[in-house]
Amino acid sequence: MSASLNHFLLVAAREFRQIAGTKGFWITLLILPIAIAAGPIVGRFIDKSDTQRLMLIDRSGREAGAIRQQFDLDHQRAVLSALSRYTERHHLERADPQALWAQHGRWYSDADVARFVGAGGAPAALARIKRVAAADTPAFDPPKPHTEVVPVPAGIAAAPPERIDALLQPYLHPGEKGGDKKAKALDGALLIPAEFGRGGTGVRLWANSRPDADLVQTLQGVLTRDLRTGYLRANGLSPAAVQTADALVPAIAVSAPPPGGGGKEQVVIRSLVPLALAYMLLMSLMLSGQWMLQGLIEERSNKLLETVLACVSPHELMYGKLAGSVAAGLTMILVWVGCALAAGYAGQGAIADIIRPALAPLTSPWTILAMIYYFLAGYLIVSMIFLVIGAMSDSMRDAQSYLMPVILVIMMPIFILMQVMLRGAGGAGITAMTWFPLYTPFTMLARLGTGVPLWEVLGTCAMLAVVIGIELMLLGRVFRASLLRAGQKPNFAALGRLMRRERD
Amino acid sequence: MADALRLDRVSKRFGEATAVNDLSFAVREGEVFGFLGGNGAGKTTSLRMVLDIIRPTAGRIEVLGRAPGRENSAELGFLPEERGLYRTMTALDTITYFGRLKGMTAGDARRGGRTLLDRFGLDASSKVTVDKLSKGMAQKVQLATAVVNDPKLLILDEPFSGLDPVNQGLLEDEIGRASKNGATVIFSTHVMQHAERLCDRLLLLAKGNKRFEGTQGEARRLLPARLAVTARDDPGQLPGVAEAAPAGTGAGVDGWREWRVRLDVGVETGDVLEAATARGFPLRRFEEQRTSLHDVFLHVVGQEESR
Repeated sequence: MSASLNHFLLVAAREFRQIAGTKGFWITLLILPIAIAAGPIVGRFIDKSDTQRLMLIDRSGREAGAIRQQFDLDHQRAVLSALSRYTERHHLERADPQALWAQHGRWYSDADVARFVGAGGAPAALARIKRVAAADTPAFDPPKPHTEVVPVPAGIAAAPPERIDALLQPYLHPGEKGGDKKAKALDGALLIPAEFGRGGTGVRLWANSRPDADLVQTLQGVLTRDLRTGYLRANGLSPAAVQTADALVPAIAVSAPPPGGGGKEQVVIRSLVPLALAYMLLMSLMLSGQWMLQGLIEERSNKLLETVLACVSPHELMYGKLAGSVAAGLTMILVWVGCALAAGYAGQGAIADIIRPALAPLTSPWTILAMIYYFLAGYLIVSMIFLVIGAMSDSMRDAQSYLMPVILVIMMPIFILMQVMLRGAGGAGITAMTWFPLYTPFTMLARLGTGVPLWEVLGTCAMLAVVIGIELMLLGRVFRASLLRAGQKPNFAALGRLMRRERD
Repeated sequence: MADALRLDRVSKRFGEATAVNDLSFAVREGEVFGFLGGNGAGKTTSLRMVLDIIRPTAGRIEVLGRAPGRENSAELGFLPEERGLYRTMTALDTITYFGRLKGMTAGDARRGGRTLLDRFGLDASSKVTVDKLSKGMAQKVQLATAVVNDPKLLILDEPFSGLDPVNQGLLEDEIGRASKNGATVIFSTHVMQHAERLCDRLLLLAKGNKRFEGTQGEARRLLPARLAVTARDDPGQLPGVAEAAPAGTGAGVDGWREWRVRLDVGVETGDVLEAATARGFPLRRFEEQRTSLHDVFLHVVGQEESR
């Protein structure tokens, strides 16, 4: 191995170790894995409170059955819909192409749900699906019932209406006034008086917080139907005609994206990986760039540079530092991408639903190559600026005066770009940004998911290669000249002179 | 004997300012060579050119028979005037890192580092990070980074500045050890006592210009020799004596008096003694007052520039 390569590798390895030795590096590295791991746990925690607990005090003797039936019907409709999406996601329609759960583009009516339940419901469907499902197909996770009807305690069932309010309080707010704090609270209680429907008598609903809109709507639907049926019968309509009128429901054909995206949603999701990479590039660049800058300032302020420069040339030092910083940034990205892949392919649920289609643009090796190229180019362009700032500064305070405008110039347009891309917009502004070298890597990374003409990819790659070459040469001169320089910081004119000077 | 270092008409200009002007000198292999001059004399600039940290505007430099460059670093040791270490690296890792930058294998550098830490009494602190070491300990680690590769040419820029007396002694020992092992040592300083104790030859610089190059004896001969004499008669009558003045007031016992004598430049004290003997000039005491390098430095460089 040549001495120069040995120096380069030693400096790069030391730089990497220095960055990897900071707490900030590890905190940043672990943020994404922790967020991905915490997602399902938080989701489950939130799911626990989903099922509404309702006490149904029906003194009319007519409504409780109908309400329970409606709850059951709605639950079976949710199960059928979930089963339909499950079969579509895992391509399991061939288990029974005629089955309702194999027909995705429709809204399931009450009659459909009745047919589904009549055919054995989810257990029967899953038995069929099991015959064609691959061994690694994840199990079906049925939705929880929206509402659970809890039994009415004898004391409340027999109590006069005026006492019910007081009697319900321990059930709605357990733990208050010395009650059992561990008891599960009721979400609501519905009192249907014996004389409901006569002389304008209504029902009363107690809730322990803001009443659930779906629950109220369901209750209102059932009770309204009962009132309407009574009215129509009282006005001479035959019971059969009333039943027919009740069953009149328009068929609704639904065109929705398949699970994980489609249409505009799909465009956005396909842009996620490139956009996420652009964002990761930006974040890891800012972080590792600042760590590299701190390291260089430490070398300057600790008077270390002269010792180092007696052994390695300024170029070996510069390229070694760049390589160490890029390696630290790439490590972060690799860990993040690895975690995302693991979550996408090993896990299930919303994260997997987003990540799998989002990885679709990565099936082309050319796209992957282009992404890696833009990624490295972005790193070199921005890291070099950080490195020169470090070489010109004696302290972080010194560096801040250069750093703030540079960070603003880099970050502001990129955040705007990301917002525009996520809204599915684009246009001349984005195309123009593509050809501004500082933003090219970010813009191209963000655009790759939605398709970019080949000439634009090749053109920007060539432009970046030339610009980086010039940048390394000019800023390399500033870096070399600034390393051992003390005193007043160079202004723009002095920077220009340093760029023109070949060697001190 | 070959030259370990040779500068031939080397100049270095920074814009309008000339830091080093037409400097030529040579350091022979195995010598301890002092590079003396006040602040801004051009010592550090010259050493940086030798190490290829900066390049000369004009002239030619040869280091161990080659042009300056990092390819020489395996045979060079360098201790800069402004010193520092990586605060989060351990003492042993620091020495190993610099050893490897100088082309040593990781194993050799580590072994060399352990030996040095042992010798400097830091064996128990080899795995302690630099930020937890005392200033004196850090100075020893810094010295170890310079000598870990057993350099053929050891360059020390103001090595004694900032060192406590214990570490000054340690450094003098290391210079002696390196020299005994055949290494050439060049050190810059403006503390003449160190130069007097250590240097075989020296170079005096002022405002980037060479003022003197030679041995300590040759340097002293730049100033007239001084004598302390006890005589009955005025020593001013002897040949080679520029000035003689009685020390103290009044006559001594039996006419013997103390005299302070300054000789003409270039006149040896032995010649004056020989002339006195030949003339029957009675003497009770004839003592040479040794000229210090400090006096030579002030004489050659001048009061103003020596500061």
